[in-house]
Amino acid sequence: MDTTRSLSPRARWAVPAVVAGAVAAAFAVPATMGAVASDELPAVTADELVERLAVAEKVPVSGTVVYTARLGLPDVTVSEIQGAGPLDLLGGSSTVRVWSDGEDSSRAALLGEVSEYSVVRDGPEAWTYSSADDEAVHYVVDPADLERYEALAQEGAEPPVDGDVPTPSEAAGLALAYARTTTDVTTTEPVEVAGRAAYQLEMRPQTDGTLVDRVLVAVDAETSVPLRTQVWSVQDAESPAIEVGFTDVSFDAPDLSVFDFSAPAGADVREVEVPLPEPGTLEQPSSDALGKDAGVAVSGTGWETVVELSDVDVDEILGATSEGRLPEGSTGSSGADDLFEELTESEDGELPGLPELDTQALYEQLTTEVDGGRLLTSALLSVLVTDDGRVLAGAVPPATLEELAG
Amino acid sequence: MSLVDSPPAGPPVSSARATARLLGSELRLVFGRVRNIVLLVGLAAVPLLIGTVLFVTQDTPVAGQGPPFLDRVTGNGVFLVFAALVSCLPFLLPLCVSIVSGDAVAGEASAGTLRYLLVVPVPRTRLLLVKAVAALAYAAAAVTAIAGVGLVAGAAFFGVGDVVLLSGDTIPLAEGMLRTLGVVGYVVASLTGLVAVGLFLSTLTEVPVAAMAATVVVAIVSGVLDALPQLSAIHPALLTHHWLDFGEFLRLEVDASTLFAGLAVQAAWVAVFGALAWSRFTTADVSS
Amino acid sequence: MSGAEGDAGDAEGAGDAEGAAVRTRGLTKRFRSGQVGVDGVDLLVPRGAVYGFLGPNGSGKTTTIRMLLGLVSPTAGSVELLGTAMPGGGAEVLPRVGALVEGPAFHPYLSGEANLRRLDAADPTSAPGSRTRRIGAALERVGLTAAAGKRYRQYSLGMKQRLGLAAALLRPRDLLLLDEPTNGLDPQGTREVRALVREVADAGATVLVSSHLLSEIEQVCSHVGIMSRGTLLAQGPREEIADEGTTEVRVMTRPDQRAHAVRVLSGLGLDGARADGEVVAAPLGSVAVEKVAQAVVGDGIDLLGLEVRRPTLEDVFVRLTGEGFDVAR
Repeated sequence: MDTTRSLSPRARWAVPAVVAGAVAAAFAVPATMGAVASDELPAVTADELVERLAVAEKVPVSGTVVYTARLGLPDVTVSEIQGAGPLDLLGGSSTVRVWSDGEDSSRAALLGEVSEYSVVRDGPEAWTYSSADDEAVHYVVDPADLERYEALAQEGAEPPVDGDVPTPSEAAGLALAYARTTTDVTTTEPVEVAGRAAYQLEMRPQTDGTLVDRVLVAVDAETSVPLRTQVWSVQDAESPAIEVGFTDVSFDAPDLSVFDFSAPAGADVREVEVPLPEPGTLEQPSSDALGKDAGVAVSGTGWETVVELSDVDVDEILGATSEGRLPEGSTGSSGADDLFEELTESEDGELPGLPELDTQALYEQLTTEVDGGRLLTSALLSVLVTDDGRVLAGAVPPATLEELAG
Repeated sequence: MSLVDSPPAGPPVSSARATARLLGSELRLVFGRVRNIVLLVGLAAVPLLIGTVLFVTQDTPVAGQGPPFLDRVTGNGVFLVFAALVSCLPFLLPLCVSIVSGDAVAGEASAGTLRYLLVVPVPRTRLLLVKAVAALAYAAAAVTAIAGVGLVAGAAFFGVGDVVLLSGDTIPLAEGMLRTLGVVGYVVASLTGLVAVGLFLSTLTEVPVAAMAATVVVAIVSGVLDALPQLSAIHPALLTHHWLDFGEFLRLEVDASTLFAGLAVQAAWVAVFGALAWSRFTTADVSS
Repeated sequence: MSGAEGDAGDAEGAGDAEGAAVRTRGLTKRFRSGQVGVDGVDLLVPRGAVYGFLGPNGSGKTTTIRMLLGLVSPTAGSVELLGTAMPGGGAEVLPRVGALVEGPAFHPYLSGEANLRRLDAADPTSAPGSRTRRIGAALERVGLTAAAGKRYRQYSLGMKQRLGLAAALLRPRDLLLLDEPTNGLDPQGTREVRALVREVADAGATVLVSSHLLSEIEQVCSHVGIMSRGTLLAQGPREEIADEGTTEVRVMTRPDQRAHAVRVLSGLGLDGARADGEVVAAPLGSVAVEKVAQAVVGDGIDLLGLEVRRPTLEDVFVRLTGEGFDVAR
């Protein structure tokens, strides 16, 4: 007979309690077990760290990245209906699997439940593929620019792709671009990211006029690969407004077949030739640099920069984006298109590539009616669309925009 | 005729043999029951239905709409397996698993047969184990029926070929079949937690319908909670959260840690609710 | 007659407690509702006995039997079946025990034979090789051979009861616990069950039969236990229970001589002599019945008839509880 029969009823009921405790412990332990001795790293200064980042040799990297946005936007997560797509990045958590050979090939896959959105770069060509609508877009560098690309490739330039997927490296690069402006750059205590010991840079805007409180970039102590970037808003001291970081990382060279993509049979394929970005457009924007483009005005500097676009037909954009991409020149200039996407980071720039979404409804859901226009507020970015066709955007409080709009 | 003339009993067999013998009897009971057979046939009809509808509508404007994988089916019959599984996972599969696991102990209690099994005697731990294995076998049969019929119907309607993964990469059919096996195995494993919950609820009542309904409710509530972004902190622990992770088998590189996370959550539910069921069943008074 | 408590002492005095087929000490079941279902029952069923376990519905018989079988765990007290402590020794002893608990119960969508097969397959000590033969024999014994392949759902109440008995008789048993085995049976079926019980007992097995119908059981019992409201009021050999102190002598005489007869009986030392309708009755006590006859005739009373009335179990029950068997609920 089962000898357990001799256990008292009370002892029997203790069994599930013990099991539940053991299960909880089993799930909790790996979180702390993997701790590495990040406090034993030799100290570095902020300048040294920035320097290391700049000169670091690019190494192959692959792993899993989790991107979390707490922008305070209404929930528009649609991946369960639409399949994985860049719009997921507006809110909540997204998981991205990345592979990079450390040179000019990389792949990022934004994971949906049973869907996937991939961006594959291999030299001068790139693919995006969405499993939900079985659509592939093939980007090739404009033949006219190919020669220039070969030269630039040595410096790690990539053909631009609509609907890109963020990686810690790209986010860190963007953050460092800001570091050149009016920013206090320091280091924090070393941290641990994805089981790796990492140094961490802290960048604090010197001004109060921005929504950005600080930006943290964790850098792998060994390889100097950025492992995590966090952007903290002044509105939330508890958790970062945007966080993109590895949860699992490996520096082994990925299998090269990963970068070898061709459109699957039966998929809709769109061919796009892209010009290389003009030198300078990725630099910090100023009115001077943009002066040649009509309809764009930049006010403020550094973190307080506000971009103002005139003569924007919102309705047309909303209609056009439902066809797949931001219409060329819709903001009044090609430079402004790039800038608009660059500045708005992963927000407005992601609107393309949403075939069946009611963008008008989304627009109304995201924005609120204010005096003289509609306002989008989030933890990091404010956008004001005035009734007379101007769009003002910046990492500043909404009041600043309304003031500027008059 | 007197008792003394009755044939003598055989020697007691080992515990494992006795368990195997009881399991055989239990499997015959579960798979011989008309209700359970009807449910299996119903589930197997789902891919057939989807396949037929897609076959009829494939050249019409409504083609290519619907849940994941549906638009792939007409190009490659293998995807009928996945489309059918995705269609059945939210409700039909949990329903069938809930009916069988919720019925496991409560059904015997309500029929009164539980007391006669226990005085045979069958040790309660052994009976619970056998009930759990039989319910799980039924869940496995349900998933296999959907997948098997899906594959046959898909091949018959649309033919099969190389499999395009979610990442857009193409793998040979043979590897695709292996991955399909992986999907079936993962979906079965995903249902183990629900079986444990059903078994526990089944030990609480003598009304089988109550245990079945409560088990279905657990699955549905889990799905609802999983859809609330405010509760994202508890999502990874939810019973149903990882169910669709079978999609991992259709990615470029099958990430073992993703699959392991889902299996670990199921194992946790099995451990906790299995222990609860054991405590309850071995201490409960059988008064039905 | 002796109460339950006195009996425990008797049993130990007899030195046969070891050999008892069923032995409980202070068996108590308090339900979660706080209601006491069984209260301090000391059951003693000697080996070889046919023990009538009597009591109205709701008196705690079924709960007691469930505790004997380990289905319900006692709040207090202990149980031994065939010398083995329950529930710990269940695996060892239960194969030797056949049971019918609160009516038969089988899977309605299986045939009678398939139901028996399932029970036999569940028994680790049964021999699979002889399964078919044993099932056939058990079915034949209860007269169900013709209905063996029929679904249980289609059985009549009597057939269901017989199948329950067949299950209890699947293997040779040393002890049968039959809870209300005649429920739902017609008079013919009831007679058959009684014959079956006798047959099993003759083969050397011990039988405990519970019933709320005294008359059905009384005739086959060698021993009797009486339950009411959760307590065991009395138990022992049937004659002892029935005989003690309550045998009455009833004297029939002419109406005008009844008062005279009462005086004569009282003179013999029979306390409680009284005119009871047409007769004069008195508890017999230790006075020999022939002495009564001689005294009555010798005193010149016309003795029209003389009856010694042994008390029925019902009388015992009424005397013990102060209420009728059927109303004590």
